[in-house]
Parts: sequence; structure tokens; C-alpha cells
Amino acid sequence: MWTQSGDFYELLQRYQAQTGVRVPLLTPVDAPIDAPSAALEVHGTTVIALKFKGGVLNVGDRRATAANAVMYDRADKIIPLDDYTLVAIAGAYGRAMEVVRYLRHSFKYYARSQLQPMSLDGKLQEVSRALSANLPNALGGIGLFLPILSVYDPDQGRGRIFFYDVSGARFETPEYGAAGSGSERIRGVFDYITKTKGAFSERPLEEVLREAILLLDIAADLDAATGGVDKVLPTARYVTHEGVFEVPESDIRAIVQSIRTGGNA
Amino acid sequence: MLTPYDFQENLQQRAQYIRNRLRAGSPVIGISYDNGVLLLALKRRGRKVYEIYDRLMFSAIGNQADVENLRLAAIDFAHQEGFVRSPDDVTIQRVVGFALSPALKKAFGDPLTTPFVARALFAELHNQPERDLFYTLNYDGEFMPYERFAVIGGTQTAEEQAARYLEANLSSVPTFETSVAWALTAWGIAYEAAQQEDIDAVSEEAGRTRLREMLNEAQVELGVLERQTLRENRFRLIPQEQLEPFLRRV
Repeated sequence: MWTQSGDFYELLQRYQAQTGVRVPLLTPVDAPIDAPSAALEVHGTTVIALKFKGGVLNVGDRRATAANAVMYDRADKIIPLDDYTLVAIAGAYGRAMEVVRYLRHSFKYYARSQLQPMSLDGKLQEVSRALSANLPNALGGIGLFLPILSVYDPDQGRGRIFFYDVSGARFETPEYGAAGSGSERIRGVFDYITKTKGAFSERPLEEVLREAILLLDIAADLDAATGGVDKVLPTARYVTHEGVFEVPESDIRAIVQSIRTGGNA
Repeated sequence: MLTPYDFQENLQQRAQYIRNRLRAGSPVIGISYDNGVLLLALKRRGRKVYEIYDRLMFSAIGNQADVENLRLAAIDFAHQEGFVRSPDDVTIQRVVGFALSPALKKAFGDPLTTPFVARALFAELHNQPERDLFYTLNYDGEFMPYERFAVIGGTQTAEEQAARYLEANLSSVPTFETSVAWALTAWGIAYEAAQQEDIDAVSEEAGRTRLREMLNEAQVELGVLERQTLRENRFRLIPQEQLEPFLRRV
């Protein structure tokens, strides 16, 4: 007898087998190995995840590029997967959005059908699985992206940050995470901040938000593909024991203005 | 050999068998209110009200395994459609009318399979309360849309009496508080009416008395889909402590 295990991947496979309708996520794109992918594909650039006292903050610029063309300046790269999980995406935008849609459905499908939420480890594993399924594409030069997962862990009563490599390997980071072209340029700054001002996880949200926007501003100065904070305001979302919240635009605008008009610009 | 007469008799017997089993079922009341939609039921054990999709929930009376099969079939259909197309294309009429109803009809009409012993109520949330929808789905595949409120109960009279009560009392777009109060009394009326075959109209008081009696052995389960919420999931079950004030006033 077939039993319902709440596995969304299995549901899609059954759907594909029954209907013959091709689900893009299940079948790798046949890309020539030497495809000029960088010129075709839209990429999201810089996202930053920082812990604060009580949760995790995610900030991302809004730029998406294809080679050296700016394709879009209102991309949203910080996306809630459920009430306690945020994902920040850098890299191939199209593929990333498809995987995000998959994960949102996968978590909810499990919770609704099994009448219990998917465990944190189960969710992290599901991200690994989606990434390893995407590996043939990534190796073929199309669809390479890197997610950072920020969660509130109710068992441990604290925020946690996880990042992945292309093959789906999962790593936990103690204080901060960043991905995308701009993040490489500012890597040392995170360390400098924690060593001079203390751990992000011990500081209040307002302070950490200001640091994050400043970091994004520096990344935009050093990396042409990063959109920065002036033309279009960055997105900021955070997760606490109460759920996922968006930082209001007015708060972000106030911080950007104070950085521009004095303080520590 | 089967003749046309046998066929009809067979269906009648099956329908009779199912109706007898549904009669004892605990009714479900659905009401659309200003900030959402609710489904209210009483349960002795296990769950009664379930989330199906972002804006869809469900409850049913009948055999536990049949209810479970309906629930999972609805969830499967909603999620594969929501992913392959868009969450906006997952609607109550597609789920009930196309995904579930034909399967129920087939099982009911096929003399070699066991028919579903279930009667279900689906609720769909919209941005404006006027557009909220309810669908009832019967064991033989018949389905029916409703606006504002809907009832499923052990018998047809039970449903009619509770619906008449709600029609007479419910304002056009009620608040959450009034909806819960009316839903509780309507539940009592529907349950009482299903127990008393020959009664024409169950009074409000008789409904309340029956409800009070049932509350000693069963618990209220109240599921809502919230119109305005900061949370990612619109569905939630209202915790018992939040129900206490309503139950004290019964």
C-alpha cells in the first residue's frame, strides 16, 4: 500500500509520470558545457545575514545583472519560506526563484499533510536536496546560486544562520553570513566589526540594521554589480520567536539618510 | 444479472447505509466574518478542522479514513497545481468540482467498491468578505456553493434548521466575536435536529441546552483563515484559552 509521506518532490514526480507535463525543476536543462551563460542569465548580487539579540536580520540590495548589464533594480532576494525561515539568494535569479517556490510548497505540503511542521533539520536537508538536484545545471554553467538560510530555532531559543555550497553541503555560521559578488569584497569588515564592537548576536536589532546597511553601502562602492542603498532602498527582513517581519521602508530610509549626512559615512 | 431496477435499489441501499452512518456526525458551521473565515466543530478526539492550502480549509463528518483520503487528495491537488501554475489558480471550485467530486461519484456508483462515508465543508478566503465562498461536498459527488455561511450536519433537516437560524440572526458582515457566538448556537441546533427525527423546528434554547451537554464530553475546535495578518500562514486553530469566554456565555 502506498502511504503519504508528505514528500513534495515525490508528489511532483507522480504528477509528471501521470500527466506527462514536464516539471522544469525535476529535469536538468540541457545546456552546452561552454554556454555563454553569464551573458544570458540574470544574477542577484549581494545579500547579508547578521544575527542580533533575539533573531537574525537579512539585508539585500535590489540589483540583478546579466554580465555587465543591469537587468533589474527591484529584485527581492530576501524571501520568507515559512513563519520561522528566511532565505537570502545570490546568483542565478531564475533558478533560485524556482527553488524558493519549490521549498515554500515543500515545507507547507509537509506541514499540512502530516499535521506537524517539518523539523529544522528536515528543512535544511530539503535545501541540500534541491541544491544537489541543481548540480548538473550549475556544472553546465547555468543556474548556479547560493542560498543563506536564517531561522529561529525554537528548541534552542535563538536565531541560526546556515550557508551552502553548490553541491548542497551545509555549514552553520556563528555570527554572520554573506553571499554574492559584493560580499567577497567586504569579508574582512564583518570580522573587524565583531572584534571591535562585540558579537552581532549580543546587539539590538536597530544597531545591527545600521551595520548591515553600512556594509551593503561599502559593498556597492567596491563591487560594480551591487546596487547599493541610494537609488532603490535595500530590502530588510528579520526572523524572531514571533515570526518573520519586514523592516518598514521609512526606517531604512532614515538610516540611509543619517549615513549620508554625517555619522559614519 | 443486474437489471435497471437492481441498479436503482443498489444505489438507494448504499445511500441509506451512508446516511445512517452520517447521522451521528458532529456538525460543522462555517461563517465568513470581517477579518476572515471560520469553521467551527466539536471533537471528541483527533482533529476536525484542517488547512488545505494558503486560502483553503476543510472539515468533514463521516468515516475517519474516508475523511482523511479526501483531505489528502485535496492537499495533493492544491499543492501540485499551486506549484506548477500559481497559488492564485488553486480555487475552491477547482479543488472540489474537478479534483474530488468525480472520484466520489465514481466510488458511490460502482457496486464493487465501498462508497465514501463522508460529507465535507470547504471554505475559501478572499480579500473582500463578500467574496468568501463555501462548498459542501456530498458522498455521491454532489457539491453546492454557499456565500456568507454554510452548515454540514447529520441530516438534511439539521442543516436546514441551523441555516435558517443563521439567516435570521447573522448581520451581513459580522465580527469574529458575534460569528463565534452564533456558530456555537447553530451547532447545538444542528446536532439536536439530527438526533430528533420528527421535530419541525428546534428552538434556540433547545440547541443551547444540547450544546452545553455536549461540551462536557467534547471540545470546540475553531479553525480560521485570517484576511489581514503579518504571518506567512493565514490558517490557525484558535487556542482553547481564547475560546473560554465564548463557552462561558453558552
